[in-house]
Amino acid sequence: MTHLTMEQLVALRDAVSEPGSAESQAHLGVCADCSAEFERLHQRVARLRALPTLRPSRDRFPQVAARVRQDRRQLYVRRAGLGALALAASLLLVVVGRDVVTPPTASASDKLTAVMAESATLEQALRQIRDGGQVTDAYTARVATSLEDRIAELDRELEAAQLDASAGRDAGVLPLWRERVGLMDALVDVHLTRASNVGL
Amino acid sequence: MTKALAVDSYLLGDAESVVARVRVGDPAALEILYRAYEAPVFNLARRICRTVEDAEDVLQETFFEVYRSIGQYRGDGPLWGWVRRVASSKALMRLRRNKYRETDELFDEVHAERREDTPLRMDLEAALERLPATSRAVVWLHDVEGYTHEEIAGMMDRTPSFSKSQLSRAHAKLRTWLGEEARA
Repeated sequence: MTHLTMEQLVALRDAVSEPGSAESQAHLGVCADCSAEFERLHQRVARLRALPTLRPSRDRFPQVAARVRQDRRQLYVRRAGLGALALAASLLLVVVGRDVVTPPTASASDKLTAVMAESATLEQALRQIRDGGQVTDAYTARVATSLEDRIAELDRELEAAQLDASAGRDAGVLPLWRERVGLMDALVDVHLTRASNVGL
Repeated sequence: MTKALAVDSYLLGDAESVVARVRVGDPAALEILYRAYEAPVFNLARRICRTVEDAEDVLQETFFEVYRSIGQYRGDGPLWGWVRRVASSKALMRLRRNKYRETDELFDEVHAERREDTPLRMDLEAALERLPATSRAVVWLHDVEGYTHEEIAGMMDRTPSFSKSQLSRAHAKLRTWLGEEARA
């Protein structure tokens, strides 16, 4: 009589029926040796499961916590980098982009009207962001405050310019309005970048 | 109740709330999770890895991965089952990284004759420790943790047949080393 191999005995333990398992099962019923071997296999597995739980000799949580803190710092730096990048990109657009997209033939008055309309659109976008009442982290708050301070300063300059009734007034205030639009654009970007980083 | 569910409720009373706190980055919640699963994770890692140091590294890597990937845990199965899967992957990754397999094969070749001709009697702990790392990992994952050959094959990037073959070879060796009677 051919005895069952260890592979066949091990396969019999699995719930999944495999080819030949019926024959193996039938053999177990008539072969005392294989039946005893199968029982020993069961006992061995039971003893494996009953082995004591091994425990670490030292506490590794401080290392886990330190790595988590390091990961968070790196994430913070990446976020700050993205925010700064967004700000730089927006300011670059202010400096380089405006004259490129504005038709060179437009008058100073037309240009001023276009820039003021853009400023109004950005005001609207900022109002919506603020109305959302989302929590702002320290970095975003710092950047946003410095941008808002500069916008307020520009507003004072623009107010003073309104009092000027000279013929070249539009051409004079145009750079101020452009800078205002650029800063507001940057402010919107800072808020949106922060929102996308925290998954809002 | 499954073994994994039992472990969850026994080790971590309020798994759902702890997971929610880990998700928002609460370090105290991560520590609760660590304290609850530290022993079973280390035990699994130690049974698979060659050294205590490797097992401790796997323990650390497992909980860092848990912190980073907790968003992927959807709560549709026991938390312990998910943590255990992370730990198993990390332990197997450590085996691959240390190239234990090559060492095992060499070890097997050198000692094959002595093993066959000189049956040793040793306790189960020592016999398990003596198994080649890959076989030991398969024995532990299949017989103790309850993974199927298909699941083990997936984690090891091998075939189910490889897993089955490793398991039967390991049991043949254990039987000899434990001094259990061989058939006539």
